[in-house]
Amino acid sequence: MIVKEQVRTEMSADGAPRETFVINIGPQHPATHGVLRVKMTMDGEYVVRAEPVCGYIHRMQEKMGENRTYAQFLPNTSRIDYLSAMTYTHAFVGAVERAAKLQVPPRAEYIRVITSELNRISSHLVWWGAFLLDLGGFTPLLYAFDDREKILDLLEGITGSRLTYSYYRIGGLCNDVDDTFIKGTRAFVAQMRPRLKMYRGLVTDNIILRKRLIDIGPISKEMCRKYGATGPVIRGSGIPYDVRRVEPYSVYPEFDFIIPTFQEGDSMSRYLVRMEEMAQSLRIIEQALDKLPAGPVMAEKVPRVLKLPAGDYCYAVEAARGRFAVRIVSDNKEIPYRVKLRTPSLSNLSLFEEASAGMLLPDALALMGSLDLVIPDIDR
Amino acid sequence: MEAQEDSAQALKDCAPYVKFAKLDELLALGRANSLWPLTFGLACCAIEMMAAGASRFDLARFGAEVFRPSPRQADLMIVAGTINKKMAAAVKTLYDQMPEPKWVIAMGNCAISGGPFVFPGQYAVIEGVDKLFPVDVYIPGCPPRPEALIEGLLKLEEKLTGKRRWPIVKAE
Amino acid sequence: MSTNGLQPKIDSAQPASPPAAPAVPPKAALTTGQQSTVTSHQTPVTSDQSSVTSQQPTAPNPPSPVPSPQSPIPNPLAHLSLPFHGVDYAAKGYHVEATVAPDQVVLAAELLDKEGLSLDTITGVDWMAEGQMEVVYDYFHPAKALRVVVRTRIPRDKAEIATIQKVFPGANWHERETHDFFGIRFLGHPNLTPFLLPEDADYHPLRKDFAQ
Repeated sequence: MIVKEQVRTEMSADGAPRETFVINIGPQHPATHGVLRVKMTMDGEYVVRAEPVCGYIHRMQEKMGENRTYAQFLPNTSRIDYLSAMTYTHAFVGAVERAAKLQVPPRAEYIRVITSELNRISSHLVWWGAFLLDLGGFTPLLYAFDDREKILDLLEGITGSRLTYSYYRIGGLCNDVDDTFIKGTRAFVAQMRPRLKMYRGLVTDNIILRKRLIDIGPISKEMCRKYGATGPVIRGSGIPYDVRRVEPYSVYPEFDFIIPTFQEGDSMSRYLVRMEEMAQSLRIIEQALDKLPAGPVMAEKVPRVLKLPAGDYCYAVEAARGRFAVRIVSDNKEIPYRVKLRTPSLSNLSLFEEASAGMLLPDALALMGSLDLVIPDIDR
Repeated sequence: MEAQEDSAQALKDCAPYVKFAKLDELLALGRANSLWPLTFGLACCAIEMMAAGASRFDLARFGAEVFRPSPRQADLMIVAGTINKKMAAAVKTLYDQMPEPKWVIAMGNCAISGGPFVFPGQYAVIEGVDKLFPVDVYIPGCPPRPEALIEGLLKLEEKLTGKRRWPIVKAE
Repeated sequence: MSTNGLQPKIDSAQPASPPAAPAVPPKAALTTGQQSTVTSHQTPVTSDQSSVTSQQPTAPNPPSPVPSPQSPIPNPLAHLSLPFHGVDYAAKGYHVEATVAPDQVVLAAELLDKEGLSLDTITGVDWMAEGQMEVVYDYFHPAKALRVVVRTRIPRDKAEIATIQKVFPGANWHERETHDFFGIRFLGHPNLTPFLLPEDADYHPLRKDFAQ
């Protein structure tokens, strides 16, 4: 919906009158990746001020945390950021396990890593397809969804669900993986590498994409730090911050992978970070499959009625969009006292107002697409 | 009398080449075969809607792959996701902006009845899109599979044309 | 490739033509023969394990064993003027914590800003039984494992606290959200309007006495 609200005449810095108008992008818009409304004050084609308005998909996740037991809250975690649902569930069960001092068996940890990395690849594929759609290229979306269907087949075989898995349980997993999954995952890794190479030739090296993304939307290191931006946004600005490396969790220290980081801080850097991350996730999956130990997938003594000792507990993971952290405040009851979800998209979008000032409108949308937002992640 | 027999014979002769039908049925067939959905993905179900439009599940077979961004050009609103109290006014505006004839599919549990976000003391979710405007087809699931969305679309086509033109897939 | 007007950065080198081999090859390709060469418009700074200092032991089997009570918990912020103390990370998930008075939160933000930390999130906890609201500020360091929590308590019926928005502009949205949910007023905030709730919302849902 684009509604012209008002026309104002302002004086610009050099004294010439400048007529600005306000348009709404969203909340229903193909390029906002969800229900986000951006109030843009425009000077012709240039953005004077872009003010995101959120809350159109606020689903009371934190309030539900105070109304559900720890096990009952698990399905909610998948629906906060539905594209990287596994990693979000990982953060929540990790926080509960940390508080309850539960020892998760190694096999469960390795399978968690494998499924989280598969989830990361499928999330980046959706981002890639949708981003190219924003820029006007329709074909990569179909390629991306084709590859994604293969991942979803694998994950559906073990979890039963395609998008919002509730596969992890407090203390481990709900069921073990079978040979079909392991063979299928190896076959997927083998066929995905040439596909990534094809994407590089088809899209990344495309002159139109390069002209649209190089030098567009520069975000400095200082801006990232002041706004708390994480994930590919901060790695595209030259800071190699990845929770898997800086605050290691699960069995990530066992694997050999690099953190792709690019200096320039423009949209192309963020794009390349994600493309490289997909390749690195394939490496992690391969190593995890090679090292997968035998054993149980559920911790031994998980109480049926779980009460955490009073206090607050945190757990952070590297989701596809950035750093996702859960803070549980408990008062020794079955239901938490407070569940705080620190989501990456909120911090990443908060710098949009400052970063997009003075840009052309299509460039501002390219910047927004390169931030990789999922709006229910912001609104919770 | 001869003219009548002639015309009856003429009808028989041209039967392989000319078909006659009621205009209503013809229009209904045309509309059912080319439903143009509005891109109205709100939350998780939107991803399954996109997957239904992608190459594996392929809504294009049923004529419904042309997702229109503008409600003025769409005749089907697939409400995929949770309706919020803040968003409700926008949803109603979009529905009102769609020209007649228009249909609504409520995809996913949230659009049917608020989904997993209904709990005592809830303050933000509208419990079902049929509280705002009438719905033609409900597709349960959280999220429903793309095949379920296609089945919902076929049910809508059955509602439009009066008969179902595609086989029903039974579980083996 | 025409110049794209980039300010030359200290480390990156511009390759002459687009699909050029990268100047820094990625670390140790696996024997499976996969290749992850990056064809990019600038040299990537790929970090390997040694470039990021981590204070955490790389234990293979998480969670790390609970340290014995005798082993000292490190406190990297002991030199600051506010009462920061070290916390057992394996048990709690953060490294350093401080409970400060409400008029010291801006000072805490400035000190942590100088240390190079980044703002993680701001939130509130409604301790209705004690008649207090707790405001919790989370910070993280973008280069090393250092997660800091700053807490403060304010009275529930006069829930006001200064904004740290001038130190960390990212606090703008976090404070609006905390105001939405708890009704805490952040003094000096330029735009304390509803953020996640509807524009005309006059309720604060996460307060413990909220009833629909």
